[in-house]
Formats: sequence, structure tokens, C-alpha cells
Amino acid sequence: MIVRRGRATIPVGILVLVLLPLILMPIAAVFVFAFRGGPVAFVEALRTEDAQFALRFSLLIAFLTAAINAVLGTYAAYVLAKHRFPGERPLAIAINLPVAIPTVVVGTSLLLLWGPIGLFGKALEPLGIQPMFTAAGVLLAHLFVTFPYMLGAVKPLLDELEVTYEEAAYTLGAGKWQTFRWVILPALRGGLFSGTLLTFAHSLGEFGATVMVSGNLRLRTQTAPLYIFAQFEAGNVAQANAVAAVLAALSFAIFFFLLRYSGGKRS
Amino acid sequence: MSIRLEDLSKSFGGLPVVKSASLEVRESELFVLLGASGSGKSTILRMIAGLSNPDSGRVWLRGRDVTALSPQARGIGFVFQNYSIFRHMSVGENVEFPLKIRKVAPAERARRREEILDRVGLGGFGNRQAHQLSGGQQQRVALARALVHEPSVLLLDEPFGALDAKIRSQLRRSLKEIQKQLGVTTILVTHDQEEAFELADRVGLMERGELLEVGEPESLYARPHTLFGATFLGAGTVLVGRARGGFAQLGPLALPIPPEVEHEEDARVRVLFRPEQVTLSAAPPESGVRVLGQGTIVERSFLGALRRVRVRLPPIPGARQASPALYGEEGLLVDAVLPAEEDIETPEVWVGLRGWHILAPPRPRLLVCDLPDQESPAPFSLVRELLEPLDATASLLAVTADADEVEPLGARLSERAVGEGLPEAEPIVRRGDAAEEIAGEQSQNLYDFLLLSVPSDGSAGILMELLENLATPLLAVRGNPPLFRRILICTAVGEPGKADVRTGGWLARRLGSEVTLLHVPLGDAEPAPYVRTHLEAGLSTLRALEVRGRTALRPARTPVQGILAEAAEGGYDLIVLGRHAPRSGERFRRDDVTLQILGSSGKSVLIVPANQ
Amino acid sequence: MAKDRSSRLQGRLALAFGGALLLYALWPWLPVPGRAATPRTVVFYGFSILGEAMNEDVLPAFARSWRRATGERVEFVTAFAGSGTVTNQLILGVPAQCALLSLELDAERLAAAGVVPPGSWRRFPHGGVVNRTPFVIVVRKGNPKRIHDFADLARPGVRVVHPDPLTSGGANWAILAEYGAAARRAPSRAREAGFQALLGVWHNVSAQAASARAARTQFENGFGDALVTYEQDVIEDAAEGTLPGAIIYPASTVLSEHTLVVIDKNIAPAERPVIDALVKFLWSDEAQRLFVKRGFRSVDERLNAGNPAFGTIRDPFLVADFGGWQRVKREIVDGIWKDRVMREVGK
Repeated sequence: MIVRRGRATIPVGILVLVLLPLILMPIAAVFVFAFRGGPVAFVEALRTEDAQFALRFSLLIAFLTAAINAVLGTYAAYVLAKHRFPGERPLAIAINLPVAIPTVVVGTSLLLLWGPIGLFGKALEPLGIQPMFTAAGVLLAHLFVTFPYMLGAVKPLLDELEVTYEEAAYTLGAGKWQTFRWVILPALRGGLFSGTLLTFAHSLGEFGATVMVSGNLRLRTQTAPLYIFAQFEAGNVAQANAVAAVLAALSFAIFFFLLRYSGGKRS
Repeated sequence: MSIRLEDLSKSFGGLPVVKSASLEVRESELFVLLGASGSGKSTILRMIAGLSNPDSGRVWLRGRDVTALSPQARGIGFVFQNYSIFRHMSVGENVEFPLKIRKVAPAERARRREEILDRVGLGGFGNRQAHQLSGGQQQRVALARALVHEPSVLLLDEPFGALDAKIRSQLRRSLKEIQKQLGVTTILVTHDQEEAFELADRVGLMERGELLEVGEPESLYARPHTLFGATFLGAGTVLVGRARGGFAQLGPLALPIPPEVEHEEDARVRVLFRPEQVTLSAAPPESGVRVLGQGTIVERSFLGALRRVRVRLPPIPGARQASPALYGEEGLLVDAVLPAEEDIETPEVWVGLRGWHILAPPRPRLLVCDLPDQESPAPFSLVRELLEPLDATASLLAVTADADEVEPLGARLSERAVGEGLPEAEPIVRRGDAAEEIAGEQSQNLYDFLLLSVPSDGSAGILMELLENLATPLLAVRGNPPLFRRILICTAVGEPGKADVRTGGWLARRLGSEVTLLHVPLGDAEPAPYVRTHLEAGLSTLRALEVRGRTALRPARTPVQGILAEAAEGGYDLIVLGRHAPRSGERFRRDDVTLQILGSSGKSVLIVPANQ
Repeated sequence: MAKDRSSRLQGRLALAFGGALLLYALWPWLPVPGRAATPRTVVFYGFSILGEAMNEDVLPAFARSWRRATGERVEFVTAFAGSGTVTNQLILGVPAQCALLSLELDAERLAAAGVVPPGSWRRFPHGGVVNRTPFVIVVRKGNPKRIHDFADLARPGVRVVHPDPLTSGGANWAILAEYGAAARRAPSRAREAGFQALLGVWHNVSAQAASARAARTQFENGFGDALVTYEQDVIEDAAEGTLPGAIIYPASTVLSEHTLVVIDKNIAPAERPVIDALVKFLWSDEAQRLFVKRGFRSVDERLNAGNPAFGTIRDPFLVADFGGWQRVKREIVDGIWKDRVMREVGK
């Protein structure tokens, strides 16, 4: 059989034409607008106290979210992959639900649950604990929203491991913890890496839930995306774009690592 | 003793997978557990390793009870079918893993790693990654990893299952060599009989969770005890004949039964001959060879050094095929092998026997049906008393229509069985219609007797349905009677009459009961001479079974009247009735003899279908 | 093996990058010696257009005066959004101590939700009103659609950018301005004239934004021909010539009044003096001048001459002229705009 490879010019051209206004141009626009006032203006826009705080706060929350969810998500994946129990499927669906729910809804429900007028909030108020509109509230929302990413990255790897993998370690003399540490965990390395990066990236960009639970307090709970939105709304497009460009660059870096990793693994 | 298993049992979801397995494996022995998939052999191995916990029973390793220990504390080596090499470690790291866990110093680790890798033929492979190795090499790594920490026992679960034939035989030879060199006590699980014979010092044969036979390969092959053993271990033909005067009678051919094989006169005898014990010749063989008959070659296959030939013999009255039994096959099929260079051109051949083996008589098996909606529960105490004299095993069957009831019912059944002194009896719960499920259980497991209680009001209910479908003797027990001391066998002329005398006589012999053979002549007419002949023959059958018997004639208007009158006056415990085998579409009539006796006699009744 | 080394290098680089990010993020919280102790903080919420005036002028001025008086540093945590949004956040419990709302109605909602005692803001000078600003129209440069008054917004083909009355206090003011201007011109049939005026404008509303600020951002990004907004929001840019349009003063319009509420339950006893001082400061000449400088009209008419950019309005009116916000909300915003105009426009 003769396979004729058609000239790729036309289909590739169409693809680029479609992607241009859809994806490529908006990405470019962020940088173009950020540097419209020149590099000095760009740095000045980044050096304001608010912008610095927003970036630092966002990064901090992203680090914490990634660290906590790396542990929680791996644990959840391990339990779900290893044990068979009644209600396993509904639980698996519930755990993955945050992907499907609009983040604003997540924020609203967290607010209604933990806020001063909420179910838990009311119980906590006499103790002087008020998680909403604080960094803890933002962290809570981010943990919730990004929970499935870790699970999604690790669980397939665990499912792939044959049951006897673990059993082999037991028969060789390894205890439960040794087996997990030396046999299971190394086998999950790729998933842990990509899951943590994904969680970090999503946390860095999270907006919908954050805007609800943070109270948008500048210098206190204003994350970088909230800062961008607030500045844009206030008409300070340059300020907004400077931070947006930094966020975009960070995302590129993360995805570069992700691609490098998964690409390297294949070879 | 290196490995000792004591009454290990395990079930999954109420289904017994291993039934009370006991086994002793000697120091440095290579023991092979052989069985079909699902026979429970891997489960036994996993219980030894601690990967699975037995429901009951104990595991001893080198004199230490390890039943409660975790796998890592047992000091074993285990090789899985799928190798389970740790993918993120190199070959060397894999092999060092058990040493690292045991905190062996790095230098010592390296030394032992190299030593064991050399031994499995992978010297210098330490730096390779697992995915760079072939399946056979991976399994060698798994073997090295399982041996490097010098385990007290080595367990291998179908280690060669995923490999192709050539690699498999290479690996087998290496395994045997390494095992002998290291002297490590080893149990290997396989479904491959050839593998078992090649490797094993001894073989344990498993079927449906039971460890049926244990022995050296040669003795198991030449002298199996069970039909399963005879057929699973290599090819062979099993024919069923009858024991007559110290001979196994296969039609006209009489084969002497060696004195050590226990048998009963007139009982069924199963004779095994291996293909190499069968001679084929175009001309009638010279004297000295026992001739089975003349048959037609139906299949020839070339096996290299040998040629396998299958011959069909025309049906021989008094002999039937136990194995290989083919559906719709009326004749007898006999397998033989010839050296490949010898071939027989003619399609018609004479079949002779150079040797044979008589299988041990099977223990009779009782199916005790416990019907929950019935007012009288199954007579467990009677069953308990029957088992010993009959040398029988019992299964207890309960049926429910309710899916939720299955588990609690099984639990109650086991509890009652244990309470009534029947801990050995196997409880079975089936879901569905009672009569259908009893028939289903029977047809799957071919019990020798069915036993169930009849309601005191004599309603036949489920019995009717069972009788319409069954070809197995059925003991319908009334109440919870003592062992049967006086047995009334109601015999009619013809085939059903012979079957009920034989079965009733067998029962009487085992129980030491007295037997009365009853014939009911209709009206006042003098019984015909052939009736007397028939009764005399019956008495001789009983004498041959060493049973005391007498005959009785009780004229009456109907057989039922006669039987009932004799039963009432003679003080019998059990009435034995013959029946025709069920015919398709047959329905009971209300005046059916069996039903009337069951309903009116007030006694237990054994119903024996003909053609038994 | 060379590949192995390069991938290890890459891994180190990634790790170093991640570590640097973490260090950067943690920096302000690291216990570096010589760093000042955390100052007092006051959480101040305000409606959108207040942002710059408060963050850059008024609150720093207060911080200075407070430092002069007490030697203490005070820092402000602020959030600015549509007045309705701020109110909702306050109801949900954001820990604000003061909030400057764009209409009294939002203060009343807070009272109804139990956040502040009813009418507590009326204790303050001028009934709690801190400053004012009239509602004006912003048109494109050269006024190509020739818009001179609210009535012109109803002309076919004019596209109006308007804040959303559901979340924006300014939008409620704008509705009152559009209605009031027409009603005052025809006192005999005020309701009908007002209804017709609103209907005309809202037929032409092409974009609604969550706050007055957001509406302006939309207009500046090219949406619409006219924007109804606070004078304050555009006056500075207009004076500097950076406004992409021109301000049109309607003959008659409303002066919006911005109400301060103090949320007592969020104030610890130790913070009480700062808050009291801040409240007092907002009505001081210093603060009022700063508001005027930033384009707000002071509650003290004398100070309004301080900003030459203020345009003249022939017939300004206040919400009190229409019976106060309770009534305006019930009769005009809900009764006419929501129930009649929006239903008509929705057809």
C-alpha cells in the first residue's frame, strides 16, 4: 500500500489561524501590555508593596497547597487503589468533584460553612477562630480546589502496580512502612512530581474560590490573581499586566518542567 | 520437618478454597503442589508465606508456629509468576533489597549479590535495569532476590507460567540445580504435570481445595488412589467394571485384584491403564497378554519419539468408561502409545493390556438436604451415625430463595453441623428453588446418596419433584430414627428389583442389619416360578454381601397393600423401593406406589432408581 | 551516561529555582533582625472610587497625624469594591472596622443583618455622610453623539455603559439622577416623566459593570458612547487631559452622599481610640480638603471652591428631596426601574 503524505501547509495553516486569536495572541498580549511602558515601568509596577505582597502571598499559598495536597492526595490515592470497600465508587467521585464544580461555587460553599454565619464558623467564633477572610481560609479553598490533581496523577500509577509488587517486598522482609518508602513511593515518583507541579500551578492561578473566601484584603489576603483583577478594575492596566506577566512566566516554567519530565521519561 | 501444615482451611466469600489441608515437607525437599487453576494450590502457598490468613489451621516453619506472623517475619523467599521486579531499581539493587532491609553492611551486600547473581547465571548483570532483561532473566533475578537472604524455605508460585517452552525448561533445570546446591526446602506451585514430574521430589495433587494425594512422582503415576489422580497425571484410560471373586470383571476380561486393594464383592471397580501398558496388534496377540477386544483406530498423533493412538472398542456389557468419557460416545475409548517408527496400517486392531492398576474404591458421598421451610430439620444425628459404618463423607445443603439469607443461613448450618458432631461435613448454601438447586448440586458433584427428611403429614411436595428428575438413591427419613436394624426390601421382578436388592444389601452389610426380601403376589394366585428364581437370586446377592436375609411372600390386592401390611407387622426401620429411572416428561400419579408408601407407612424409605 | 548528568543538572536547576521562589515568598515573614515590629492595623473597606483618595491621601494623612499625636504607627488594610459587594462581604463577616459605603441604603442593609446597630451612622457629623459627588455623563472626545443631558441618552443609537444596580451603589445613584432630573422638570406628572426617562436610558444600556470603577474601565476600553458615573471618578483625568472623553454636566442631577459605618464588633477595646480618631479625622478640614483635591465635593460647601475643576450644576438635588433612600429604593429603584423599566426592556 502506498501512503501518500499530503502537503501539510494548508491544515497547519488553518490550525495556526484558529489558534492565533484563541490562544497565541492573548498570551503574547500579556507580555506586550506589560512592557508597553518600557522595562523601567514594568519593574516599578512590580515593586509596589501591593504587587510584592500579592506575588509572595500567592507563592506561599501555592507552596503550602502543593506540600499538603501531595501528602493528602497520595494517601487518598493509596487508600482508593488498594482497598475495596462499599461506597468506594461514590467516594472516588466525590473526591474528584472539585474539578467539576465551578470554583466560585466552592468559594461560596466554604464561606457558608466556615464563615461567621456558617455552620462551623458559628461554632468556632466563640473560640476566636475565624478562618474565612484570612490566609487560612485561602489555603483551605486552595486545598479543596486542587485536591484532585494529585490524586489524578498518582492513582493511575498505583493502579498499574500489580498487587504482588507490594507482596514481594513483604516476603523479602520489608515492613509496611519500609515497603511504602522504598518500593511504592519510588514507583510513584513521576506522578508525585507532575501532581505537585500541577497543584502548584493551579493554586498559583486560582481565582474563583479565592475571591469569595479571601475578602480581597490588600496586604493580607490578596493573591496575585486577585491583585490583577482589582488593578484592572481600577483601571491600572499596567500594574495588572506586570503581575500577570510574572504569573504567566511562572506557569510557562512549570509546564516546561512538566513537559521535560514526561518527555524525558519516554525516551 | 521443614514445613508443616495442619488442617489449613480458607474460604473466600463463603466459598471454600482450601479444605483442611495437612502436609509435611521434609528438609531440603523440592515439593510440588500440582492442580488445575482454582484448585487452591496458590492459596496454600500464600498462607505459608503469610500473604493470606487461614480461616483455621496452623503453619509451622522449622518447628516454629508462624500462623500469626506477618510475611516479613517468616524468613521466606517467594517468587511470583509475574516476577514483580522493582522497576525503579537496577538488578543489583533488587537483589540487595532484602539485605538492605536486614541492615547488612554494604561490602557484605555486594559480595552476596555477586555470588547469588553468579549462581542464577546473571553474573555481571547487576547494573542492568529490569526492563532491559528478558522474561526468563527477570525471573532469574526474582529467584536471586528471593534466595539472597538465605530463607528457610523457598516458595514459587507458577514461576515459569509466563515464559515460553524453551526458556521454561532451561529455567527448570537451573532451579533444580540451585535448589539442590543450596539445599533450601522448596514448595513450587504449578498446573503443569510435566513440570511437576521433572522437578519434584514429591508431588501433592490438589483438586477443589483438597489435597488428594501426596507421593513421589513415579508412585503417583503408577498407583494413583483417585480417579482425578489417574487422569490428571498423564494420559490413561479408566474403565469401570465389577468385582467378582477377586477379579475386576470388564465384560469377558477378568483382571486379578491385588490383595492389598480393598474391594467388595459386586462393587464397582475402576481399572486404570496407562497408554504404555496398552498393546496394539493387527493380529490377535499371543497368549499371556490379556485381550480387551478388537477396535478401530479413531485418532493418531505424532509426538516425536512416540505416536499416540486412540482406539474405539465396541461397547462391552459390564464395562463402562470413567475416563476419558466423551459425551455421546457409546463405545470405549482406549489410548495407547507406540514407538514412532512402529505404525499400524490396518484400521482394525486388537487391544491388549500389559499392566493395569486398580483404583481405591471411592468413599460414598451423602448429600444431606436441609430444607428450612420444612417442619422437621435434616436428621443430623442419623447422618452422624451413618457416616462411620458407611465410611462416607457428607455435604449439607441448604437452599433459600432470598439472596440476603445466603450468608446467615450458611452460618447457621455450619453452627448446627458442628453442634451435632458433624464438623467435617461441608456446608453448602444455594440460592433458588429448592428442588432445582438440589438437582443442580447433585448433577455437579455426583453424590452417591441423597438424604432428606419427609414431613410427618406425609405430603410429598419436593420429593415428587426430586424423584421426577433424579437417578440417585434417595433416603427419605421420617423423624430422627436410630440406625436401621431391620430393612424391608420390596422387590419386583426386573431391573429395578435388582438395583434395590444391591443397594439395600450394601447398606445392610455396612450397618449390620437384617434384611427381608418381600414380594407381593397379586390376588391369591400362586406366584410364578420366575418369582421364586428372582427371590433366590436376590438371596444369593445378599449372601455374597455377607448379609443375613430371608424372603417373604404377602399376597394382596395391590402391591401397596402388601407392602404396608408387611411393614406394619415386621417391625422394620427402613423400606427399600426400586424405581424405574426417570423418563423425560414423566409425571407422578396420585396412586404412585412410592408416594403411597411414603405417605402411609410412617417409616423411612430408601428409593433406588434402576440402572444404578 | 552524559544524558544522565544533564538531566541531573536540570533537576538541580529546577530545585534551585523552586527554592529561590520559596525564599522570595517567605522573605517578609522571615525573622530578620532590625525589622520593625508589626504596627497597629485598621481594616478599612470602601466602595470602588474611594480607593486612591483613601490609600494615597486620606489614610496616610491620618497615619501621620496619629503618629504625631501618639508616636504609634498605624497601617491600613483596605479593600475597595462595588458598594453592594462590600456590604455583602461585611454581612458575611469580613473583619473590617470601618466601611465607607456609596449609599445609605447599604448601611441600612448592614443594620438589618445585625452588623451595625440601626441608624448608628447618623450619630456622626452630617448624618454619617463623609463627602458627595454629582452624577455626570462622560462622552467620547468631541461629543460625536451630541449628548448634553440625560434625555439625550435615550436617543436611538446611543450606547450607554452603566454600573449594575444589584452590586453597585453608584448605579442606584445614577438611576435616581436619571429619574430625578426628568421628574423635577415636570413636577405635575413626575412619576410618569421619570419612568419614561429611565426607560429611554435603559433601552440603550449596552454594558453593565459590577462597580462604578469597572464601568469606567469598560468605557475606557472602548465600550459605549456614554458613561453615567460619579463626577469624582473622572474629574482628575479630565483636568489632566488623560480622560478618553469629556464630562457633560446635566442641568439637573443628584449629589451622591457617601456614608461611613463603624463595625463595633470588629473593634478590640485597645483599637477603639484609633478608630474614634479616624472617624473624627474624616470630617476634619484636612481630610475634607484632601477629598476635594481628589475630586469629591466636601460636606462643607466653603471648601468646594478649592477645586477649580468642579463644573456647575444648575439644579442639584439630594436623595432627601425624594424622601430618603428607603423610599427611593422602594418606589423608584424597585417600583419603577426594576418592576417596570427592566420588564419593558427585557421584552
